[in-house]
Amino acid sequence: MIAYRQIGDSCIPAQHQPALVLDYACSRELDHDGAQLLRGTGLRSWEMPAAAHTLTPNEYLQLLSNVMRALDSPDSSFMLGQQMLPGHYGALSHALLQAQNLRQALDILCAGHARLCPLLTPRLREEGGIAVLYWTDSFGAPSQLPALVEMHMTAVTAMCRWLSGERLPWRYCINRSAPAHVEQHEVHLGSDLRFNCHLDAMLIEPSWLDRPWPRGNAMAASVALQGVAAEAALTPSLLTAMYDYLLENIRLGPTLEGSAAAFGISPATLKRHLARHGSHFQAELDQVRAHVAMHLFHMRGYDNEAVAQYLGFHDATNFRRSFKRWTGLVPSLLRDALSHS
Amino acid sequence: MLQLHRFTLIVSGLALIACVFLYSTLGVAKPFVNWKWTDIVAEGGTAVMAGIWVLFTLSSRPGGLVTRLLAGGLSMIMIGSFADCLDEFFAISKTARWDHWIEALVPLGMLCVTCGMYYWRHEQFRLNEHLQKRERLFRDHRAFDRITQLANADYLRNGIREEQARRPGQPCALVLLDIDGFHLINREFGQREGDRVLQAVGHMLLLNLRNDDLLCRYAGDRFALLMPETTAAEADALARHLVAMVGQMRHHAQSGRLHISLRHASANADAAPEVLLAQLSRELAVKAGNKAVGTDVA
Repeated sequence: MIAYRQIGDSCIPAQHQPALVLDYACSRELDHDGAQLLRGTGLRSWEMPAAAHTLTPNEYLQLLSNVMRALDSPDSSFMLGQQMLPGHYGALSHALLQAQNLRQALDILCAGHARLCPLLTPRLREEGGIAVLYWTDSFGAPSQLPALVEMHMTAVTAMCRWLSGERLPWRYCINRSAPAHVEQHEVHLGSDLRFNCHLDAMLIEPSWLDRPWPRGNAMAASVALQGVAAEAALTPSLLTAMYDYLLENIRLGPTLEGSAAAFGISPATLKRHLARHGSHFQAELDQVRAHVAMHLFHMRGYDNEAVAQYLGFHDATNFRRSFKRWTGLVPSLLRDALSHS
Repeated sequence: MLQLHRFTLIVSGLALIACVFLYSTLGVAKPFVNWKWTDIVAEGGTAVMAGIWVLFTLSSRPGGLVTRLLAGGLSMIMIGSFADCLDEFFAISKTARWDHWIEALVPLGMLCVTCGMYYWRHEQFRLNEHLQKRERLFRDHRAFDRITQLANADYLRNGIREEQARRPGQPCALVLLDIDGFHLINREFGQREGDRVLQAVGHMLLLNLRNDDLLCRYAGDRFALLMPETTAAEADALARHLVAMVGQMRHHAQSGRLHISLRHASANADAAPEVLLAQLSRELAVKAGNKAVGTDVA
């Protein structure tokens, strides 16, 4: 049975990511306006919250939305991201600080995402001469997704830049139309930007993964990782667990009923839980299939026929039509867009 | 701001009450059927609008001659039109002259506002001098960044387009300036110290610019400089000078002196702003890489 957390479960320590948001808001003098801005966040004052206080993902999202609305500045998400990683989140943050190379840092990040970046789930794929770190929504916040993606991509970029001592040559694919404030992306992320991508991903040559980092310390990292293992592992969010389950079973034609059984709940309950995260089964399945198709196109160089066969479609025409429905683009267009990098 | 002008507000309020009192005691109430709604809406509306203008003016300006003239004039317009409106509810005997005097406040108020506008113009000229190097050709208060008080990238892109349209074919240069290792300052000393560094660098750059140059905060630690009637070579020389000046600057953080250095990239501003800025950004990133491994000879 697959365990999962939901958007209403209290699980984010207020002294972790929410404290960073509070601190940034105070540096921009938002605390002068009183506690009005904290409505719906479970926090009562701008002071450092108690160690035992935890927020639900919903409350943390509300805090971010309130603060960003009040700041009304295109750089808020990027500035919040600058401070987010490695952060002060216990053993995982220590492990990140001691990471010996990019691969280890990203592995720690992906394994500890529930604590390090609770709102978005990072996933690392390496194949076909390219390494891809892509992000999916953990709790279903479509309206805040662009800002969250900016924040998380900045967090990883800034952390790697700091720990490696140099600017890494990331390429950014962003699932949104080109924004008016593209200068913020240029300065905080880098100049190799691509918009309208149907995937929020950071791409890098695999050779960068194993370059040693100057601050890396194998002993300290392994001690910190033992500390991580000693901490109780956090269960992933429903959407993350669902994505992982669907990805694993993508060639077996997963159904709502089958998935519900795997999660140990009734199909009606799964439907209700997904609805609480602003989603439904078909949308989740389509997203995973689109991601798999893009992966096969881009990293394995498959053509329509091969991908259709891989995903269990009767023929390429059927697949083409479905793909158009998932992404709004026919496969060839998206393939061209991705390969022109 | 409104606290400052409490006295003015109380006097205007009392004047309005006095009007109601005067009309209701000395006049005879008109029956409902005789009320002329168009007059009531027009005159009452003028009074309400003038009242709002008074509040806007007082809430946004410190005291002084210009504020007194503008707010005083607008209050007179408000009281005059309010009295005019009360006329519609109460009949005043034809022989009485006092109501005419109250209504005469409207043109008198307009005279006051006109005088106020005249001095406001002078005030504005002085204030424009303060904004020199921070704005060119057009004004958009929303474009100003809260930390450095410099205009943002949007304003810059508009500025470049305007400059190209105004003087096509003339040389005009664009320079981008980045602070070396700014992310380390943020990591080690905190974002508040980072903000102070941005302010200090902004001031230093402003001091060393010509009056016609425009300085913007592009984003993060990147500043942009638009130099009309300047060739790329001249701009490059000027940018080197700016880099040297900032390099000489002493910035005192709480934990001691911080050394700040800049790198720059310059170009002729003859292409579309987006293309130009993206290209200069790439150049800056390359320079950052060179500096990190110590091969920079510039």
